[in-house]
Amino acid sequence: MEFELSKKQQELRDNLNQLGRFVIRPMSLQMDREHQVPATFLQQFVSMANSMRSDDDLAAAFGEGKKEPPSLDKPSFTNRTSLIGAEELAWADASVLLCLPGPGLGGPPIRATGTAEQKQKYFGMIHDADKRGELAWGAYGLTEPSAGSDVSGIQSTCRKDGKHWVINGRKCYITNGARALWVVIFASVDLNKGRAGHRAFVVEKGTTGFSVGKIEDKLGLRASETAELVLEDCRVPEENLLGGEDAYLTKSTGFQTAMKTFDATRPLVASMALGIGRAAYEHARDAVKDRYMIGRPIARYHALVERLAKMHRRLEAARMLTYRAAYMADVGQPNAKEASMSKAAAAQAAVKACVEAIEICGAEGTISKEDALLEKWFRDIKVYDIFEGTGQVQRVVISKRIFSDLKSF
Amino acid sequence: MTISFEPTEEQRLMRDTVAQFGAEKLRPRLRETEAARDLAADLRSGLAELGIGALWTPEAHGGAGTSVRTAVLIEEELGFSDAGAAFALPGPNTLAHALVELGDEAQQTKHFAPFAQDPSRVGAVAFSEGRGLARPGFAATAKREGASWILEGEKKFVLNAGRAGTYVVFAQTDEAKGWNGIGAFVVDAAAKGFSVVRRHQTVGLDAAAFGDVKLEGVRVEESDRLAGGDDFDAALRRFFARQSLQVAARAVGVARAGYELARAYADERKAFGKPIAHFQAIAFLIADRLMDVDGARGLVWRAAWTLDGAGSDHWKKKHKGDTELLLRCAESVAEATEVAVRCGDDCIQVHGGAGFVRDFIAEKLFRDAKQMALCTSSATTSDQLFAALALGAPLDPAIVLPVPEIQPVFI
Repeated sequence: MEFELSKKQQELRDNLNQLGRFVIRPMSLQMDREHQVPATFLQQFVSMANSMRSDDDLAAAFGEGKKEPPSLDKPSFTNRTSLIGAEELAWADASVLLCLPGPGLGGPPIRATGTAEQKQKYFGMIHDADKRGELAWGAYGLTEPSAGSDVSGIQSTCRKDGKHWVINGRKCYITNGARALWVVIFASVDLNKGRAGHRAFVVEKGTTGFSVGKIEDKLGLRASETAELVLEDCRVPEENLLGGEDAYLTKSTGFQTAMKTFDATRPLVASMALGIGRAAYEHARDAVKDRYMIGRPIARYHALVERLAKMHRRLEAARMLTYRAAYMADVGQPNAKEASMSKAAAAQAAVKACVEAIEICGAEGTISKEDALLEKWFRDIKVYDIFEGTGQVQRVVISKRIFSDLKSF
Repeated sequence: MTISFEPTEEQRLMRDTVAQFGAEKLRPRLRETEAARDLAADLRSGLAELGIGALWTPEAHGGAGTSVRTAVLIEEELGFSDAGAAFALPGPNTLAHALVELGDEAQQTKHFAPFAQDPSRVGAVAFSEGRGLARPGFAATAKREGASWILEGEKKFVLNAGRAGTYVVFAQTDEAKGWNGIGAFVVDAAAKGFSVVRRHQTVGLDAAAFGDVKLEGVRVEESDRLAGGDDFDAALRRFFARQSLQVAARAVGVARAGYELARAYADERKAFGKPIAHFQAIAFLIADRLMDVDGARGLVWRAAWTLDGAGSDHWKKKHKGDTELLLRCAESVAEATEVAVRCGDDCIQVHGGAGFVRDFIAEKLFRDAKQMALCTSSATTSDQLFAALALGAPLDPAIVLPVPEIQPVFI
């Protein structure tokens, strides 16, 4: 039972906090309006990350693609450290975090179930591009128009044709989907088989039959690219089947690949939500501070500070759940329930914090300007209770597991 | 060092021992304990044997020498088994926190000694009073008379009133100075002029005795006045922080009991042909309560870790003052007591009509949780303290402490 951050974690947090405060936040609104994070900034960010590469934990926080291939299959940084980095970047601007070059959400499934060759190849592609000074992304294509949280309901199909697989279907809401060098795509060999029929592939950009549909116009996280992907008789080589054909003969199925990914990414998403929630809390706190400190804390401020305190402790309680889920992942304990708990609690606390912060600030809270990003955070946060599984789906996961030892289940 | 959620082997062992005692002895007899409004003699001695009464006593003064982290693990188990029994425990109880934070070494040596000799001895703190006065401060007074103090007045809502052998009594030493003119005095229950005037019938935790005491010319020597080191106000805040954390840990236990009982009942009770746990309205409610319980526990653990570190040189170098310690304890108790009440409430709701009758434990948890939320610096006061610290505002006792003029509580 220890709660002190390591020296590395503190450095990471402090460095990212400085960067966020003085570099990222001042350009946050413009990126939001222009629907993109400037490539020059991302390049600077990457070279800065590379210059710190001697410090494993630190370099790793900027994306695994920036690391040397030999350690690709095993991240050398802990989940706990990643959380701390993610929270700090999200505190600055969550869109920037989503736009960072690297394998993104495509990393965990490859790391969890890819063969040695696949890990080498796909992490290597990003690593090589980086060496050439190019920005490179991976992506994760699971969601479909008719299958969001219910992953088992995907309608994309795949069939073997000689040395190739032929994939057909549509994927939606894919972060960095259009710019990614490769996307992990889920499809079914037999729609009647449900989860057992799922297969995961790595589909490379430029593959025949693989194209980008529309780029979404969103409520928040507007600087982040959210794409629709279309697969029409898309032919991928058989070696792109994640984990290889044999893996699907044993119990490691495509569905499990998707689920394993969530055990690591849900706490990460939770910590991003906490970063935004904390930003909103701090904004409201500072707004109240000026008035509370006049020396005559009128009744309204007594009521307001109670709301502030409540906002804060809900975020902190969710933070404890998030740290716990990451801790469990780090020491190799099964954490599906705890990962979902952290995600559900953090998203809920952070959405609430943003709503409350706006109410506390009054009209001022809804105004968009460079030094007041509250309205942006209010827009950004909502999707945290939706992506990586909605709050409701988290509760399905949690309740299934808490009832699993009871006799009626 | 980094973040870890794993208790040590020793901590697990101690926790499990208490959990077993709770499951075998306390929980099966919780109705008996409540009806008797006291712990049975065998439970009292069994708990004393486990050394639980001395959990918060410093090792140098006969305590178990366990860390605060170990203490909160044990307190949670007590709260889970029977919160009423937890509050009725023999030992110094709240008095320990007062002696640790407000007393000097000599005073601690003197006043902890009787507890080391007799594990069945009980301690108490008389802080609260009835409604607040027109002026800030206590109605009870302490007036100097030579080298002694003479105490007059009535103190209310005292945990262990009537059972305690030693009390720490708070009184006004200088009426003109408001909350800066108060003092704390160690009073023996046998002192002339000291009496217990009533025992309250409370909504929950009725196995513990909550009562009022009267002071009629009680003489206390200057050496028994607890000065709180250099800064009485700061020491008083730390007293409440410690006491709150103990209550918070028990509240997590009550909350967990509410969650567990609701979960078990949802599996047994059938409606529309299936156990109600299979309906999402019920399943999600129970999932939410687990998130509450585990989140609150995390806060309590982190506060305990903070309190464990607070005395060390490393800590003093890193932190100026008590801010972090106070923040952590304030958020813990506010969250834990609120969560306990919610879990008690929802536990009844999941039970439906069965939750309203005393055949089931649900209704007791709800009552205990509500009582507990007023057994220390309440959520209202703790949130005000948190905010004042976060905003860098002055820590006015009338805002950040559970003083009678704002919200009298059971101490």
